[in-house]
Amino acid sequence: MPVWEVLGRRTEGDPFAVVGGVKAPDAEMALLLARETHFRHKEGVSYGVRRRGEGHIHEGTWPANELGGVTDRSYRRQEGYVGVGAQMKRVHRELAARGLVVRGPTPPSTRSSRDDVDD
Amino acid sequence: MTYDERVAEFKAGIDAGRKVEAGDWMPDEYRQAALKFIEMHANSEVMGALPEGTWIPRAPTLKRKLSLTAKVQDEVGHGQILYRVAEDIGKTREQMFDDLVNGRTKFHNVFHYPAETWGDVAYIGFLIDGAALVNQKALLDASYMPYVRAMRRICPEESLHLRHGEQLVLELVSGSDAQRKLFQDAVNRWWQPTMHFFGPPSKQKDMLIYWGIKTRTNESLRQEFFTTYVPKLWDLGITVPDPGLAWNEERGEWDWTQPDWDEFWRVVKGDGPMTHIRLAQRKTVWDTHAWVREVFAGIPEQPAA
Repeated sequence: MPVWEVLGRRTEGDPFAVVGGVKAPDAEMALLLARETHFRHKEGVSYGVRRRGEGHIHEGTWPANELGGVTDRSYRRQEGYVGVGAQMKRVHRELAARGLVVRGPTPPSTRSSRDDVDD
Repeated sequence: MTYDERVAEFKAGIDAGRKVEAGDWMPDEYRQAALKFIEMHANSEVMGALPEGTWIPRAPTLKRKLSLTAKVQDEVGHGQILYRVAEDIGKTREQMFDDLVNGRTKFHNVFHYPAETWGDVAYIGFLIDGAALVNQKALLDASYMPYVRAMRRICPEESLHLRHGEQLVLELVSGSDAQRKLFQDAVNRWWQPTMHFFGPPSKQKDMLIYWGIKTRTNESLRQEFFTTYVPKLWDLGITVPDPGLAWNEERGEWDWTQPDWDEFWRVVKGDGPMTHIRLAQRKTVWDTHAWVREVFAGIPEQPAA
């Protein structure tokens, strides 16, 4: 089965860059696999495939706003977890106030963020 | 140019930062090392989907079911991407998967253990994925470029999984005493496998590091894991079940207790608590769905009558 290079444009104006590869019997299946395996999380604005050893790029037809789906899939994207860092600090503060945190020396790189909360 | 001269030239190129592409000439030792490493990584991704896959129907809310389903899809997708990378080095996907389900090749130790509770799911998402991310970020500078491209895709998805795991942990530790205990119990059971995950101390001449396929030693990665995650666990009032774990200011690194390495070797060689069950699951599907592969590959040639 032929190997197809998967290409993507991160933003408008970017050239196509190789981002991976798939095996597929034809360009249509290669584009489907490429879209599902490499652009599921809205990783770019356009995609394409190129059969290994050939120069022609078969471009995908899904527009940028549809890549990755059109329904709410925030549970599978970073936008669904905005605020987790702040939540960590808040929980730390609450547990520190209850006397539940574990004390012990840590590397210098970790100290400033912990000092903001402890005591 | 003799073979040895070509190898020396190749090695000099690696040391100077040259990246290797799929069609490039490479020494046999490089090819074998890269294939074994990437094949094991691919195996680990598809086996790693199983512990959490069992929790999709048992997750406490629809949101968590959706998140776990998406995560499992990502992990299997990582396997697909990595098998594709490994195929170019010289072994078919079919052979790799056949070797995996028949117990001839290895996968990471942590995926041989059961995910017993929702606390385990939180641990896996936060600390196993955290450990994986420490490893995988180091691979972004590997010498084999197709593997680097795969890591560029896999690392952001693992970061997402980590955020999900972190959120689960925060829910548990800020909840009831029973919820806190659920997570603490998971930490107590999973800590040793996590220490095993980074592997024994690297050999003096680690061939993967020699060829630039890996860029950091096992111990260096484990130390980074301690620095990133131990303070966070302590901040959440969670203890680590290693009385010897402590930051050593003088040496600038963490002291810790070596785990039972006999258990590590026993598990990765195929004798973990869930090894046979999980391989049997994979093998059953592999065997019963052979007809799907045959359809894609075309009807095989019939032997001459």
